[in-house]
Amino acid sequence: MDLKKFNKPEYFVNRELSWLKFNDRVLSEARDKTIPLFERLKFLSITASNLDEFFMVRVASLKDQVHAGYEKPDIAGLTPKEQLAQISQETHELVHVQYNTFSRSLLPALEKAGLHLITEHESLTDDQKEYVDRYFEDNIYPVLTPMAMDSSRPFPLIRNKTLNIGALISQKDKKKGKEVLVFATVQVPSVLPRVIEIPSGKEEMRTVILLEEIIERNIHKLFLSYDVVCAHPYRIMRNADLTIDEDEAEDLLVEIQKQLKKRQWGEVIRLEAEEKMDKRLLKILKSEFDIKNEDIFSISGPLDLTMLMKIYGLEGFDKFKTPKYNPAPVLEFQNDKDIFQVIREGDVFLHHPYMSFDPVVNFVRQAAKDPDVLAIKQTLYRVSGNSPIIAALAQAAENGKQVSVLVELKARFDEENNIVWAKMLEKAGCHVIYGLVGLKTHSKITLVVRREEAGIRRYVHLATGNYNDSTAKLYTDCGIFTCDERFGEDATAVFNMLSGYSEPKRWNKLIVAPIWMKDRFLKLIEREAENAKKGIPAHIVGKMNSLCDPVIMSALYYASSCGVTIDLLVRGICCLKVGIPGISENIHVRSIVGDFLEHSRIFYFFNGGSEEVYMGSADWMPRNLDRRVEIVFPIEDEAIKKEAIHVLDVEFKDNVKAHLLQPDGTYEKQDKRGKVLVNSQMEFCREAQERAKNGKKDPKDHSRVFIPAEPAADIEES
Amino acid sequence: MAMTTFAAIDIGSYEVSIKIFELSKKIGLHELNHVRYRMELGKEAYASGRLDMDMVEGLCDILEDFKRIMAEFGVSEYRACATSAFRELDNPIIVIEQIYQRTGIRVEILSNAEQHFLGYKSIAAIEAGFKKMIQKGTAILDVGGGSLQVSLFDKDALVTTQSLKMGSLRIRERLKELEKQTIHYEQLIEEFIRNDITGFQRLYLKDRDIKNVILMGDFLTDTIFQEEMKDKIITRTEFMKRYEEVVSKSETALTEELGIDPEYASLVIPTMVICKNFLDIFNAESVWVPGVALLDGIAYDFGEKKKIIKSAHNFENDILVAARNIAKRYSSGKNHIQGTTNLALAIFDSMKKVHGMGARERLLLQIAVQLHDCGKYISMSDVAECSYRIIMATEVIGLSTEERQIIASAVRYNTTEFVYYEKNDNGSGVDRNRYLLVAKLTAILRLANAMDRSHYQKVVGLKAVLKERELQLVIDSTRDISLELGLLKDKVEFFEEVFGIRLVLRRKRKM
Repeated sequence: MDLKKFNKPEYFVNRELSWLKFNDRVLSEARDKTIPLFERLKFLSITASNLDEFFMVRVASLKDQVHAGYEKPDIAGLTPKEQLAQISQETHELVHVQYNTFSRSLLPALEKAGLHLITEHESLTDDQKEYVDRYFEDNIYPVLTPMAMDSSRPFPLIRNKTLNIGALISQKDKKKGKEVLVFATVQVPSVLPRVIEIPSGKEEMRTVILLEEIIERNIHKLFLSYDVVCAHPYRIMRNADLTIDEDEAEDLLVEIQKQLKKRQWGEVIRLEAEEKMDKRLLKILKSEFDIKNEDIFSISGPLDLTMLMKIYGLEGFDKFKTPKYNPAPVLEFQNDKDIFQVIREGDVFLHHPYMSFDPVVNFVRQAAKDPDVLAIKQTLYRVSGNSPIIAALAQAAENGKQVSVLVELKARFDEENNIVWAKMLEKAGCHVIYGLVGLKTHSKITLVVRREEAGIRRYVHLATGNYNDSTAKLYTDCGIFTCDERFGEDATAVFNMLSGYSEPKRWNKLIVAPIWMKDRFLKLIEREAENAKKGIPAHIVGKMNSLCDPVIMSALYYASSCGVTIDLLVRGICCLKVGIPGISENIHVRSIVGDFLEHSRIFYFFNGGSEEVYMGSADWMPRNLDRRVEIVFPIEDEAIKKEAIHVLDVEFKDNVKAHLLQPDGTYEKQDKRGKVLVNSQMEFCREAQERAKNGKKDPKDHSRVFIPAEPAADIEES
Repeated sequence: MAMTTFAAIDIGSYEVSIKIFELSKKIGLHELNHVRYRMELGKEAYASGRLDMDMVEGLCDILEDFKRIMAEFGVSEYRACATSAFRELDNPIIVIEQIYQRTGIRVEILSNAEQHFLGYKSIAAIEAGFKKMIQKGTAILDVGGGSLQVSLFDKDALVTTQSLKMGSLRIRERLKELEKQTIHYEQLIEEFIRNDITGFQRLYLKDRDIKNVILMGDFLTDTIFQEEMKDKIITRTEFMKRYEEVVSKSETALTEELGIDPEYASLVIPTMVICKNFLDIFNAESVWVPGVALLDGIAYDFGEKKKIIKSAHNFENDILVAARNIAKRYSSGKNHIQGTTNLALAIFDSMKKVHGMGARERLLLQIAVQLHDCGKYISMSDVAECSYRIIMATEVIGLSTEERQIIASAVRYNTTEFVYYEKNDNGSGVDRNRYLLVAKLTAILRLANAMDRSHYQKVVGLKAVLKERELQLVIDSTRDISLELGLLKDKVEFFEEVFGIRLVLRRKRKM
């Protein structure tokens, strides 16, 4: 397989620009009038928090590269500087659309729905003014820390991602007899709710106001002997990427804790300021933060739209929200048998959130109290607060089981949380492994060792998603339970490796990154290519979150050029281009952005008719294949294989939430006219419920009639 | 069905490893977990005879972890063995005590002969074809970090087994400085080991026809040949092809290609050169790499002892054959030995209740008889001392150093005055239990030996009957046994002293 020919910059898209396209797709959901209003608020909020993370991690990293004089172009041939320039342009456009959507579309719709959002305190009624001023004095004032800058006081530290109000205040210089302007700033306290409901004065209407508006209105109370010339909110983003030198970190734990404290000192890489901010004030901020024009965003609306999530959380607007989906119980476990017996009877497939995550929690819970269980081992990457799994693991250790837990401390933004409960587990007597130096452990695997009549039996749960009962209600993920000895042996070997012992001589079934996975995928792709060359039908289907590994993409191009049909479901970043003559004409890419976050990774290879299906934790990204411990596992059970293929099938039939990648790099939704609407996520919900009710195991058993999803009533004019 | 879980721990010269097995009569031996940790204990041990504190500390950490791994599988019994790295320490007992105090794990040091015997058992553990293979001339080559063992088989029995201090790690360390001065590292190694190899060829191999070589060791041998192996058997040509490929490569290239640690990679070439040179002198056709090692042997041995596993191959016989071959080398009288053996075993078997010894001791007795006059080869006048020295200097496969010492002592006291424990002041290293065993074996050996003083095997049959506190030996002989009976007197005294029973000698009445 000679891939050189397929590895050219013009065949690839820059990953950051591709990511921004993904955020565009999320934003398009916020603009979709067929979606319930409050869901649209949520999507807009997600675009805002996504963008924050993007700046903090990706833009920051590019800035670092520029500072370091790193000139090497990316796969699309762009230098870091060029990337930043394009990103700046794209993000300004994105923000523009965000606020357009907010003020032109969502605000009026909210008004119609009976919710009045006050974005300017000037428009308060007298009663409301009295109410907010009282609220200010009682609740806000005590927690404010106004700070001014003058010759004796330097510019204060402004914390990353916090919302602040900057003001110019003036004082008469008695000696010179003229006004002197002083810069002052106050942080909008993050301990108080950002959205505050106030009396509306009308029966059918509810009114909310943003915290910063109340502060702005009362800001003169903070600087009593001054005149407040102007006051405007602003917000900064700093370079927050953790750059831990793991080679030198003697104790990973201590090092990360140290880094967390340092994070707020990073360089400012973005400044958001209210559009109508006083020029003099902006100038001060600009020079103090040492920031260039292209990194300044003038915002025509409230800063930090993540607050829309709070509005979504307001009670009483249920008809403007999609009814909450309750995961269906898993048929196999709907009986009195103990979980181990069920697994002994055959592998069990789970598809979250359509099916309940409870069996996974119960698996650990039962193992914790089962007298025959000797050991429980699990990898934990991100867990929910107050996780029932953690509680069960601690309980198991207290019950005398051997409990080993790999806690990945390098899970982004979760470090602090993870350290806390890792220590708790240690206290309970668990053996806690704090990840491997230089490698993030991203694999999701649980192993239960049980002593049974016939000897030691190993039960394994393998999944595409984290052991997090909260996200399991929102992310689409797959998992299997098995007690196949070959999987059990491999699982033991995985944990040996994670404990710092040598890798096994061979793997029975699991494909493990970083060492073995990429080669395996390349071989699987090549096999399809070889088949296609021989005239045998060849087909690859891949579902993942991101696709940006240059070698894999080149191999896909090669396969496509050999005549392999390649269908990809890539939710987020996709650096591959479709429709390049002779290169990628046989590749089709689609992205599903729906109510649930598409998260499962499923890989299908036609293999001349004896189909192979794999699932796992890895995307086709260099970081997953080269710098992480990941597991991809084959689906051996024929019935489960069918189900997995069915999942892929339905997602390729989706014409409601799927965006299709075009040869020009844009994503477009399909023309739905005259077609039966298929919303794959809704379809899976229905199927799961039906299966739980009817006790049917095979989804192929029932005739497939797709029921068009009915949009909830939206009162917006169209 | 009863399942037992057992753990075997191997503290090797460059790796510490554990295997967890479950055993039952039905499934035999089933491996559940195999954990390896690279730790070059041998490097320091061979150079200075010591392990520094950090090294011991590191080893204890690993063993602590192994305890956890054992608990994960509910392991009830384990055996932790150390090999050549520990054998070459100046202060092994002190280190072992430190390990015990910290981890609660008792480490036992295997003698070279024991180690390789267990390794050799491991082959039998996995392969039924083994029995068939050793019908023809077969050699087992077991290359470790510190030493190697080569054993020759013919007609289902062990012919000879020799240990050479030519392990991969040892060679690497010895040649470390010289390696930089040559571009032909493999030739350097060849020259370094040539003398030993030709010595072995001259003394032991002679013109034996070796058809097959069983190559064992550890994961490394498996790794090197992983691609070539179909049915785990490779031809000599395939081996040579692989050899040529490997020896010219740098460590970095090997690391990448084989997907192993660089430290392991540095052992690949020495291992390959050793194998190649042995294959050359054997002129063997094919090599079998069964992929087993000491750990499997330890578990197999455990299973055998617990009567969970029944071996198709008689391992005790291998030990006896090995002993017989030693006796042969020193020109001991075959008939006398056979006669004495029969007498000794008849006595042993008749009085189990009195002496309380078991199967293992019975084996030691047989070996003692085999070797009891090997010293004659050196000096007719100082047989006892020479025999003692020969036995102490000769490895007998399957025997621990302690066992060998017991045999050597029994042989020594066979013809010299017995030295009582309390009078033994020279720190011979014999503890109370072993002393008692020596006394018992000596008493039986003396008696049996005296009955065939003339080496004419006059005693055709011996019937030993234990009646209360009296052991009646009924001698069946048509010949004149007055010499034997006359000389028996003082032997009887010692016998009675040791066992506290009366010995009555009678001639079988003729009908």
